[in-house]
Amino acid sequence: MLPDLTHLSVFLAAGGGHHDVPLSTTLGFAGLLAAMIACLALEEKIHAKKSIIVGLFAVVALAAGTAFHLLPFGAVTNVFGEELHLPVYIPAIDWGVIAIILGSSLFVDVTSRSGLFTWIAIKLTKKSGGDPFKLLTAYGVMTVVFSAVLNNVTAMIIVGSLTAVSLDRLGRREKLLGFLLIEGLLTNIGGLLTLISSVPNIIVGNAAGISFVDFFMKSSPFVVVATALTIFMGAKLFGITGLKTEEEKAEAAELVRGFDENDGLESRGFFWFGAIMTVLFIATIAGASVLPVVKDLGLGFVALAFAAIMLIRFKAVADKFYQAIDWDLLGFFAALFVVINVMEHAQVLTLIGKGLEKIIDLGPALGTGAVLLAAAFFSSVTDNIPLAAMLAKILQSLGTPTDSALWWSVVFGANLGGNLTPIGSASTLVAVTIIHKNKLKLSFADFVVKALPYALAQIALATAYVLLFLR
Amino acid sequence: MTRIDQFESVFLAAAKEVYRHEDLDIRKALIVTDLADASEYRQRIQSFLSPLGEVDWQAEAAGSTVQEVLAAVDEGAPDLVVTYRNLQKGPWQHSLGSQVDVLTQATDVPVLLTPRPEDDWAGAPCSSVFALTDHLTGDARLVHYAVAFTSGDGELTLAHVEDERVFSRYMEVISKIPEIDTDIAREELERQLFKEPKDYIRSVRETLAEVGSQVRVNKVVTKGHHVAAVRGLVRDSGAHLMVLNTKDDDQDAMHGLAYPLAIEIRDLPMLLL
Repeated sequence: MLPDLTHLSVFLAAGGGHHDVPLSTTLGFAGLLAAMIACLALEEKIHAKKSIIVGLFAVVALAAGTAFHLLPFGAVTNVFGEELHLPVYIPAIDWGVIAIILGSSLFVDVTSRSGLFTWIAIKLTKKSGGDPFKLLTAYGVMTVVFSAVLNNVTAMIIVGSLTAVSLDRLGRREKLLGFLLIEGLLTNIGGLLTLISSVPNIIVGNAAGISFVDFFMKSSPFVVVATALTIFMGAKLFGITGLKTEEEKAEAAELVRGFDENDGLESRGFFWFGAIMTVLFIATIAGASVLPVVKDLGLGFVALAFAAIMLIRFKAVADKFYQAIDWDLLGFFAALFVVINVMEHAQVLTLIGKGLEKIIDLGPALGTGAVLLAAAFFSSVTDNIPLAAMLAKILQSLGTPTDSALWWSVVFGANLGGNLTPIGSASTLVAVTIIHKNKLKLSFADFVVKALPYALAQIALATAYVLLFLR
Repeated sequence: MTRIDQFESVFLAAAKEVYRHEDLDIRKALIVTDLADASEYRQRIQSFLSPLGEVDWQAEAAGSTVQEVLAAVDEGAPDLVVTYRNLQKGPWQHSLGSQVDVLTQATDVPVLLTPRPEDDWAGAPCSSVFALTDHLTGDARLVHYAVAFTSGDGELTLAHVEDERVFSRYMEVISKIPEIDTDIAREELERQLFKEPKDYIRSVRETLAEVGSQVRVNKVVTKGHHVAAVRGLVRDSGAHLMVLNTKDDDQDAMHGLAYPLAIEIRDLPMLLL
């Protein structure tokens, strides 16, 4: 369903609900935003962490926004009519998103210590009997499921590490590049499965008001088909076939027999505790929109609460887990929300919204498809998170209804665009890192050439799916 | 990307060496002596090696030179050479003698080095074997021989003795690297170094049970480097035979502890691989 464009026109005419800003000022801030996106795209070249890049741009944007009298200084009033005096950049941050990311990454990190995920990974390896095609299928499905349940970076690290070890043991290192590349591409498919599987999903889902269950019901058919298609293409293009003779099968089975799934288990009790908590975590997240208390406190509360419960096991050394938190990612998000908030006040989002209006005006089918393709293209050359945050903010401002296909265009485009280049998503970057760690050569151009058939097939499939089933 | 390394370590640790049993077929043995009449020595050997079953015993007579012994090995292609230290030199030499040195380094045939014929050595059937190495994990050949020389319901002690001097040297270096916590490094290194041979010994036990072997497998996993300490371990095990690797990867010299042990422990037969 498309948003009401009459509403859009009113929104744009009113300057997005903010005071008038001279066009030159808006263009100046747009330049600042473009510079930030360019720096993020060149993150590897300039050897700077995302949080530093965006943090510096947030500092400049806040200073410039204050100098140009764009920011709404003053007290914030809560629902009880009480006035709260907060620094202007505090309400700019979407703390719900930060809480989800902080809580779920802590939860996943502590649960990983139970050995649950490595146990599953090794068990599947043994079940495959060392057959390359069965391994590819098992690892492919595991990548998708882990990306959905954990996050795509952790999924890539777990499955990618195991792939390198198991193929080495099976004497099939020549297939390692194909395996790792396919797994990298599948992380972004798995990242589409649930509302909390990837950051763009969290941002867009939160902005659109899509529930966890609704998200899953709409995305899962695509994820199943895209996973099967990617594994099939991978097997064909990289020549990954099953073992033919009984001797080959017996030898491979003997080689994987040496894997001990119980080796990494700290204790049986903690293992089962981790397994039960993971199931409960997913169930609570799924029912968060209807569960009493939880529905008011939100997904961020659920994630933080489960992380706190898991940390009881390591209460004396909890600080070790705090040290392991990806502060770069959290700093990046906080700063990004600040930058986007300033851009909103500077009417930059309104300006981009006008461009988006032109795309949406192409019609229900063409417009929706074009948004998906544009989102995919832009997320392939820069971080998909600012893109998703910006587009979500614009669509929200446009009053786009929850059931509009445009939200899905942004979700599918932002996630799948990451498969076009190695810098398109954090998990493909991890895949390339593991490839290089294993002394395999894969340049930026090599990645694009090898990944292009998969990415194009996935994007084409997503476009057809959104237009046929979600519109 | 330390998390990649973390998970890789978990999976590498989980990918264990599994022992696969092979029955050795020792059918031909060459006895090399400097005795005019080697029949008594031969009888003791036959009794001692009765766990091997039917063996075709050949003898190389006294007075053979190193070249002649090597030629006999080449020609006869034995599965085992049986001899004792200091052939043609007498008992008090603090070496193994040139024949034994050459046999252990220049041929691939295992050498059973027994006490000298005049020593008080009963030669009762071998029912307790002590296999010693500083790297047991994956050393299936050592285990195959140790099992083959143990009588059906005998005792096999698999001993992994980590070189304490090498360990200390690495720990000394680690203690000078600020980025590495020395206590954690010591604890974790030691834990992993010992865990691997222990896992392998467990795998040996399981595999032998699967193939119906009655041999009882004992475990010794420790650190050390003094010959006296190893001698104590062997004595405590009550072994009738020691099994050792003697070849370095580069084939330069007798491997690690094997040479000093072979020199020092003169009252116990040793199978030098």
